[in-house]
Amino acid sequence: MKITTLLLGVLLAVKAVAATNEVAPAAAGSQAVLQDLQHKMASVKTVYLEFTQERVLKLFSDPLKSDGVMLIARPDEIRWETTAPYQSILLGDQKTVAQFEFSDGKWEKLKLGFPQLLQRIMQQMALMNQGKLDALMVDYTITVTTGDMTVLTMVPKDATVRGMMSSLEVHLLPDLSATKQVVMNEPNGDLTRITFHNEKRDVEFPAKTFDQSKPLDIAAVQTAVHNAP
Amino acid sequence: MRRNFLPLLLVLLVAGCAATPPEHPFTRPANLFPPDGVLVQRVLFTARGRQFPLNGYLALNEAGGKHLVVTENFGNVMAELLIKPDGQVFVLRSSRMFPERYIRRLMAEDVKCVFGGTPKLDCPVTMPETNRFVLDRGAYKLDIRIVETKAGVQPAAMFEEPVAVKQ
Repeated sequence: MKITTLLLGVLLAVKAVAATNEVAPAAAGSQAVLQDLQHKMASVKTVYLEFTQERVLKLFSDPLKSDGVMLIARPDEIRWETTAPYQSILLGDQKTVAQFEFSDGKWEKLKLGFPQLLQRIMQQMALMNQGKLDALMVDYTITVTTGDMTVLTMVPKDATVRGMMSSLEVHLLPDLSATKQVVMNEPNGDLTRITFHNEKRDVEFPAKTFDQSKPLDIAAVQTAVHNAP
Repeated sequence: MRRNFLPLLLVLLVAGCAATPPEHPFTRPANLFPPDGVLVQRVLFTARGRQFPLNGYLALNEAGGKHLVVTENFGNVMAELLIKPDGQVFVLRSSRMFPERYIRRLMAEDVKCVFGGTPKLDCPVTMPETNRFVLDRGAYKLDIRIVETKAGVQPAAMFEEPVAVKQ
């Protein structure tokens, strides 16, 4: 549930990154901002972005960092790839999921345990990708603050979920055209922070980018994305 | 979403009791890890033919304390345990995937086996390469890669058992 929640937030953020440069209504309420986001999400076909994920555990001196790339293509394809300090690829659509690990100089497709969990995540992502943000309102109390950044704070309504994640923050530029961070706060003070950068919208991904048998190497994907007009 | 983990757990518990000790105890090369620091690990946990990729963050102190946090792909904590220098185990966080009983009886022993200072007979570990350990218990296997080593003294609180955590 928590993973789903995090990825919902990530997806919301990604779609915000992909939004157009229209200006959000001043002093908009939560519902209005969500509707604005939902409206802007409708036209985006693909999104490419890079991220840095920091796991902040209060007992540890330094955050534990990883880097990666996230790609989304309509209607329901997603690739979440960690590039450092280890290499792992998670691929999914509305029907199936696959994960690869790089070991011994080659990629190994995993025989995943509990693929239903990842499947659920992908289904939620597809829901978001279709702009059905209203679903969020069922599970979360959402508040919006505006200023230098627009921050959507989502608090789970379910007490059990809240016991694992106290809130999820999505930090967007004021015009909702880009998202800078997604922060998942835990009740004990630990958090996960994902910072996005180098986003590209509506780029054409090469064939096999989302291939669940043998995905195209991310370097080739990046070459195509960065060379796109 | 809901799934009964009991059969998996039972297999693992039985396996933990029935594993055949290797002929020679595992001896880790000296000075492979800093006495104080954090080892960031990528772990592939295999059980009943299924694979579960995990991340491990193991803090060490010179006195021999060990504090391990295990997360899944997206940072969700699956297990957290503290092993005191005298071997006492404190389970700080558990999950449906790794219940308290599993962490105490198996995970703690695996940490002692791979990262402990004293070689044990019941420690079927191989080192295919530097900073990689394969622990094969029979019914389950751990493929542990150390992907990052951060040397340095960690906060003392990390190695102190919290109040109200049972041993």
